Amino acid sequence: MLRGRFGGPARTLGSFFVVLVFVPPLLLLVSGSFHTPGRPPTLTPDLIPRPATTIGYELAFEWGGLLRATVNSLIVAVIAVPLSVLVASAAGFAVSQLSRRARIVVIGASVAALMVPATALLVPRFAMFRWLGLTNTFVPLIAPALIGMSPLYVLAFYLAFRAIPRDLYDACLIEDLSPARIWWRVAMPQVKPVTSAIAALAFVTTWSNFLDPLVFIYDRDLFTLPLALRSLAALDPTDFPIFLAGAVFATLPAVLVYSIAQRRFLR
Amino acid sequence: MNRVLAVLAAVTVIVSGCTGQQPEGRADLGPIRLLASGSPDELAAFRTLIDAYKKAKPGTDVQLVEASNADDLTTKLSTSIAGGAPPDVFLMNYRLYGQFASKNAVDAVDSRLKASTVIKASDFYPQAMTAFRWGGKQLCMPQNVSSLQVYYNRALFNKFGVALPKDGWTWNEFLVTAQAMTRDANGHPVRAGEAEGGAPAKAAVHGVGTEPTLIRVAPFVWSNGGRLTDNDQKPTRFTFDDKASLEALRNFVDLRLSYGVTPTDDEVKAQDLVSRFAKGQLAMLLESRRITPTLRAAKDLDWDVVSVPRYGNPVGILHSDAYCITTGSKHKDAAWSFIEYAMTQDGQKIIAATGRTVPSHIETSKSEAYLDPAKAPKNAKVWLDAVPNLRSVPTISTWPEIEDAMEGILENAINHAPSLDSVLADIDKQTKPMFERGIAP
Repeated sequence: MLRGRFGGPARTLGSFFVVLVFVPPLLLLVSGSFHTPGRPPTLTPDLIPRPATTIGYELAFEWGGLLRATVNSLIVAVIAVPLSVLVASAAGFAVSQLSRRARIVVIGASVAALMVPATALLVPRFAMFRWLGLTNTFVPLIAPALIGMSPLYVLAFYLAFRAIPRDLYDACLIEDLSPARIWWRVAMPQVKPVTSAIAALAFVTTWSNFLDPLVFIYDRDLFTLPLALRSLAALDPTDFPIFLAGAVFATLPAVLVYSIAQRRFLR
Repeated sequence: MNRVLAVLAAVTVIVSGCTGQQPEGRADLGPIRLLASGSPDELAAFRTLIDAYKKAKPGTDVQLVEASNADDLTTKLSTSIAGGAPPDVFLMNYRLYGQFASKNAVDAVDSRLKASTVIKASDFYPQAMTAFRWGGKQLCMPQNVSSLQVYYNRALFNKFGVALPKDGWTWNEFLVTAQAMTRDANGHPVRAGEAEGGAPAKAAVHGVGTEPTLIRVAPFVWSNGGRLTDNDQKPTRFTFDDKASLEALRNFVDLRLSYGVTPTDDEVKAQDLVSRFAKGQLAMLLESRRITPTLRAAKDLDWDVVSVPRYGNPVGILHSDAYCITTGSKHKDAAWSFIEYAMTQDGQKIIAATGRTVPSHIETSKSEAYLDPAKAPKNAKVWLDAVPNLRSVPTISTWPEIEDAMEGILENAINHAPSLDSVLADIDKQTKPMFERGIAP
């Protein structure tokens, strides 16, 4: 849309504003994490802490158990993200192959499911996992991946698969390829940018999931990163560098994943 | 399919029968889960308490389930109760527990307390015990008995040559002191309405800091002879339209609106009250015992505490948390055994060591575990002196919602100066439906 004569400057200007909005808070976050804990924050934040210290990081790891929490979050993400992508893409592909009437019903149901607040399902989910004896394990945190994590991801894949010319699917059927092979061998390679985007979104959703661990996890040793970070938020205001150090540590993987994924968005 | 379900159900019943019931004659050792919230140092104190309990009672098993704050604790507790797997014991403020007590989710401890050979009701301050009575029954055992007091920066008072506040002072003395301590960057007093060279002087030090919440206004309403609600036990509405209550509310709001002795909302958002106090930008701070460890940790801060100012009678507001046993607990005996230990001097001393609480155990509160002369504040006794005059807010089930609504209304009243009539109308409009829905003890 912005290609041509104005494409370059408009894109540069847009990038500039995005950087203007997102970079200063990140800089303040990083700078704040190197301040000395135990001292009240200054009225106007100073970007260069004097003296700069890593005590905030040391205490964040010690008091918040960040290392253990990071390992726990990684275990959950490593299982939940690929599973979400696989299930959402398979479901999206299946929807794209349905008859028009069935498709409308499924999409309508997906949109309706999107409107159900997650908190409304909290108690039934808790009762179910308790009955299965799976509370205080990672299973309730990974389980949403079995339904593609969110109906939105399924719909996104459906739209991507629908954009592939119908003739290609017909040709595959003539070649006697099974639906599973068409999905994996033909359709998935065509929607790599969508796969990257959904993987990135699924990662951030899993990585920042606070409510599920809060409700399902009792044992401190099983805390994920958002819970560990929350415990640091309960520190006194004068200990803000410890919380900010934890926040920097928790933010880095998400920034890294987006950096990797955005290269694929542009392809 | 039905057969499979029936077999599963039978297995569940058998398994729960094996694990949930305690064989006759054998002591119930647990395991139990204790749900508590707090900062890392408070949670560390609970872990120490659990370790001490396990050492004192070998074979027992207690797991600490941690929440960072009261909101997280409430979410965790309500979900687990509704889902059928509540913790055995939880620690909660009396202003919040009504929502669970009204649903019979808390098991009364009267008979256990009466039968106990370790603790007795008279070991604890009755003001805290009463706050946890529901329907004539003692539902929970109070762990602490804090209240609102005034922290002051002694060095700042000495610097500006203002007399230090004294226990038993009046609201007017408090206001005059707050005005005298509100200073500009050059150390000159700042008077609201007075302008220097056409522009009002900006305060570099404010006289006093307080949150615009109901629990901050309440003690002044009571001290002025007013009432907070029309009925302490079964309230149906707030009574700020009562003359004495209105006067206390107006004076509270005027601290900012007429006298400018408190920081504005924007100033507090830029830097919170505790940080301002620790940095010497606030001469006095209305707070409970909670912030004591923060101030102890602040280097070069010379501070102490004085009683909350009064109008007529000295009245304070109770801040108290208690251990409660859930009705759904499968190990109530083990839960009580833990609470018993936590409420003894040994148990109370461990939590008192955090400095955040005032022990509810009378002997412990008078011991060095709390009144340690080597630790600030020097006037720690002020919290104990206040106990006989402490009052509590109603504990109806919707009280947390009511407090939340009041915070918004008071924030608006202090920062946007609507007429008091509209504030009163707003209070009624927003909170009356909540009072109507509330279940009283």
